Amino acid sequence: MTEQFKKLSAACAEQEENLVLLHYGDLTGAERDTLQSHLNSCAACKDYLQDLGKLLPLTLKSDEPPETFWADYNRELRHKLDDAAEKPRWQQKLAASLQPRLVPLFATAAVVALALAFTLGQSLWTTNEPPREEAAMLEVLPVAENLEFFKALDVLDDLELLEFMGSQGSAA
Amino acid sequence: MNPGDEELVASARRGDRRAFEELVERYQQRAYHIAFNFARDREDAKDLSQEAFLKAFANLKNFDGRSSFYTWFYRILVNLCLDYKRRQKRAPADTFDETVENEMDPSHQPEKPRSPDQQVWARQISLRVGQALDDLPARQRTAFVLKNHQGLSIKEIAELMETAEGTVKVHLHRAVTALRQSLADFV
Repeated sequence: MTEQFKKLSAACAEQEENLVLLHYGDLTGAERDTLQSHLNSCAACKDYLQDLGKLLPLTLKSDEPPETFWADYNRELRHKLDDAAEKPRWQQKLAASLQPRLVPLFATAAVVALALAFTLGQSLWTTNEPPREEAAMLEVLPVAENLEFFKALDVLDDLELLEFMGSQGSAA
Repeated sequence: MNPGDEELVASARRGDRRAFEELVERYQQRAYHIAFNFARDREDAKDLSQEAFLKAFANLKNFDGRSSFYTWFYRILVNLCLDYKRRQKRAPADTFDETVENEMDPSHQPEKPRSPDQQVWARQISLRVGQALDDLPARQRTAFVLKNHQGLSIKEIAELMETAEGTVKVHLHRAVTALRQSLADFV
């Protein structure tokens, strides 16, 4: 790589951009005159300009296709333009045919969507609330527990009665 | 007398297909060559330039006439070419072809077969040029191709690239510097 850079002429840094423009003929008036007079006294810039003249044409690549190419080109493009013109026409027809029915169509679609959302949503949406059966059980359970308690109290009552009867018996 | 672009555009906007085809005939060769400078491939250049015409046709109603049809259309084309280069960069391929060889070899004369040495040299230049152009940042490459290959003025390039003339000059200078270094072997 260093070898290849050795071949290049280094121009005055502040002149490089203008040298490129001069090469392309894009420098006019006072700027061009100033650069031209600079070139008369600066060999480096002169070499740089010559390098551009040799190198930049190498990057050019033109292609001159035969007549048949252009015939195909035009035919192909015409077909593509036909297709492109046909497409909006087809879309316009569809839109025009749907136009009077659009409002009822959207309304029906909205109603169907709502109905579906409502029906499916019930089974899909989950909440933190327990299911109904479980809630009922939770309500009944304390009552049942209380019932057991009262039953136990009944037994205690019976025990008291037995004790009373026992104490009476022993006293006799 | 041939109608001007503005007249043709107005007719095409009213649905006159023939008017648009007239615009196509007027610019197809220039469009193809611009696309070819970017793509360096005949088929791709054909597809790109045709796509640009189709896009122009589809968007004709959006053309506000602030710039000329030519400027508006070329902006569409150049943008498509840049997109193409971006896509190509993602999937690189060897694009060498015989046409490049011919163009790159200054001593080339179509009727005379070239020596193997000349062919190798031309192939090397072609590959190096292609690679060097591909390596340039998109805006530098655009400025360079429009100037070097298409010969547009700095003002026209600035208009196409929607940037300041000073910026175009900087892009052009940087592109030339990079290419000069890449092609130094061939001085």
